[in-house]
Amino acid sequence: MINTTILSWVTFIYFAAFVFYLFRMVLGHEFWSKLATWTTLIGIVAQSVALIIRWKTSYNMGIGHAPLSNFYESLIFFAWTIVLLYLLMQWRLKNSSIGVFVLPVAFLIMAYASIAPGINNRIEPLIPALQSNWLTSHVLTCFLGYAAFTVAFALGLMYFVKKASGADVSQSSIFIRLLPTEYQMDELMYSCAALGFIFLTLGIVTGSVWAHYAWGSYWSWDPKETWSLITWLIYAVMLHVRLVRGWRGQRMAIMAIVGFACVLFTYLGVNLLPSLHSYMT
Amino acid sequence: MSKKKSTIWSFFSSIQLAIVLISLIAFFALIGTLVPQREASVKLAESISPSLFSFLLKMQFFDLYHSVWFIILSGLLAVNLIICSLDRLPLTWRRFRMQSLPFNEEAFKDLPATNTFQAGSDVQRAAEAATRLLKKKYGKFARTDGPGNTYFCAQKGSFSLFGVYLVHLSLLVLIVGAIIGSIFGIEAYVNITEGETVTAITLRNGNQSIPLPFSVRCDKFTMELYESGMPKTFQSDLTFLKDNQVAHVGKLLVNHPIEFDGFRFYQASYGNAPGGKATLALVRDGGHRDVINVEQGYTFNLPGKEGTFQVLRVEENMMKMGPAVKVAVRSNKNEEAVFWVFQQIDQIKKISPDIFEQVPVFNPGLFQPYTFSLLGLEEKYYTGLQVNRDPGTPVVTAAAILLIGGLMLILFSYARSIWIRIGQKGDMVVIAVAGRSYKNQPSLQKEIQYLLSELKNSLEKSQ
Repeated sequence: MINTTILSWVTFIYFAAFVFYLFRMVLGHEFWSKLATWTTLIGIVAQSVALIIRWKTSYNMGIGHAPLSNFYESLIFFAWTIVLLYLLMQWRLKNSSIGVFVLPVAFLIMAYASIAPGINNRIEPLIPALQSNWLTSHVLTCFLGYAAFTVAFALGLMYFVKKASGADVSQSSIFIRLLPTEYQMDELMYSCAALGFIFLTLGIVTGSVWAHYAWGSYWSWDPKETWSLITWLIYAVMLHVRLVRGWRGQRMAIMAIVGFACVLFTYLGVNLLPSLHSYMT
Repeated sequence: MSKKKSTIWSFFSSIQLAIVLISLIAFFALIGTLVPQREASVKLAESISPSLFSFLLKMQFFDLYHSVWFIILSGLLAVNLIICSLDRLPLTWRRFRMQSLPFNEEAFKDLPATNTFQAGSDVQRAAEAATRLLKKKYGKFARTDGPGNTYFCAQKGSFSLFGVYLVHLSLLVLIVGAIIGSIFGIEAYVNITEGETVTAITLRNGNQSIPLPFSVRCDKFTMELYESGMPKTFQSDLTFLKDNQVAHVGKLLVNHPIEFDGFRFYQASYGNAPGGKATLALVRDGGHRDVINVEQGYTFNLPGKEGTFQVLRVEENMMKMGPAVKVAVRSNKNEEAVFWVFQQIDQIKKISPDIFEQVPVFNPGLFQPYTFSLLGLEEKYYTGLQVNRDPGTPVVTAAAILLIGGLMLILFSYARSIWIRIGQKGDMVVIAVAGRSYKNQPSLQKEIQYLLSELKNSLEKSQ
């Protein structure tokens, strides 16, 4: 199908963008930054087109639904939101050094979606439980949240890279010098975590409303629900220790990384547990 | 606050306690996803020693989310939330009042030189410029003409200071809603075979049966499949009866529950029910053929009025020989014949030609002059319904709205106040701009610089 062909090309485009961002960080030329940004833009436009085609195709097949209904589609959408969020951030901050940490994540997710065994990339009709208007809003808000947490995680990694290079900026490589200041990274990490927290809250609330209509209970301690609560609590702690206790920098970076581990478990790990949310059934 | 607080108060108002409690709740929740809960724990019982199992059972390890531990933790967190909020509310209130102080000389203390400029103008004209600017940017502002100096004050987003209290309140409301649900709520299920009526449901917890104040009939259950074999729709046509009067008729689908008399019905499962409908053909003397739809337990007249027949059983697969119906025919002279009618009688006869001699009751022509044949069975289903009643739901909904509203206030808006001081110094006017914000200082500084440059511009233009 044409949409999956485009999507496998997007995987390589994101990889190329990552390489260009890396060249920029190592060589320091502004040219590479521009090339990387344009490559990323081409990637996300192509990916959006593929998603729209996939959406349209499902209607032509008579089983119309937003492309958010199975594991493959969720991975693709996850990568899309991450890149979108990153581009918005680069545009706002006029700093492209974060790309070298974010783009590989998007690339890996896309590659996993195309290569990993057992991932079905066909457009399939919705089973009765998924035939709901809440599907789109629930998946959309959850993945926007996941994407924000992913960027916060990338910033956490960057923070440690910067920290490891020592305090004396003039002595360090171009790579380190191009990274935002520790203060900036800390602020960004907080903004991303806060944004993710809002979207995760919306995701949990829309999920509860949906569950209320589908299963008869707004909360049933399904492993996915429970893990989303655990993730929510971790980020709630992260926001509190910053706002009330004044935690900054390294401690926040650790929280961002721990939080992301929870996000990953909520998204993927739960498939190993018996759950109504499992993508594997 | 100079008052010495009690130890208990300071214990419960500490953020450390909140963090410990939240972490513990998260930890318990995590354990609950790894240890099989409720019905699933039965499997675990086979692989661990009985004494350990009974100990864990006593410790409510297999129903963690409803255990005393979880309730205690949630209760402590609720107390912590209340005390924390009460403890910090006066400070927030003072900040809120401070935000709207029209005259705040303190804000101008230690003001950096970049926040002040002089222009060849007078107070009158500078005040007009400030009025225009503040009206455009903030809408509302306060002016104070003091001795010597004129002050302007404007603020934005002061209510965001209370966002955190909305969030904390929402969590308390959520807990209240959950408690209401667990005390007054009902979680039950009922299976209804097509054509049957029920007047009671079974509780999920404890399997106790409770009567309904009305009755429900399942008229039909339909399942549709996609070409791939995946299910497309599950639908139950339900009729709700009150005092034997039809009160409501509705189609129940997954994701589309039906609410009746305070109970919500959900399509949850389905299955094959014993005793479906059958289509029989009755051939009289090898000539006239009548087709009759029959159902288990019902009695029908023979087409020629020679007597009646009753369908005793409808079997989907009788002795592995396919669908069959057991009928009892009774003539008007009270002669009775009981026999089985197989759908695949021709194949059966081919395999064992003398079947009727061996097993006379397998002969569908046992009652002369009729020969029965089974044309087909219509499968009968039962529909599995989840039946719930949760008076806590509106409370939980309110909590969700409060929570989202509060979070938006905290994260997307922030309290910010701006003061402008205008004074005369010889033939020059001195203008100073100060601000206060509890969050996002860089953006406040940007805004102050913007206000200064706008004021400078408009004063230069008016000269």
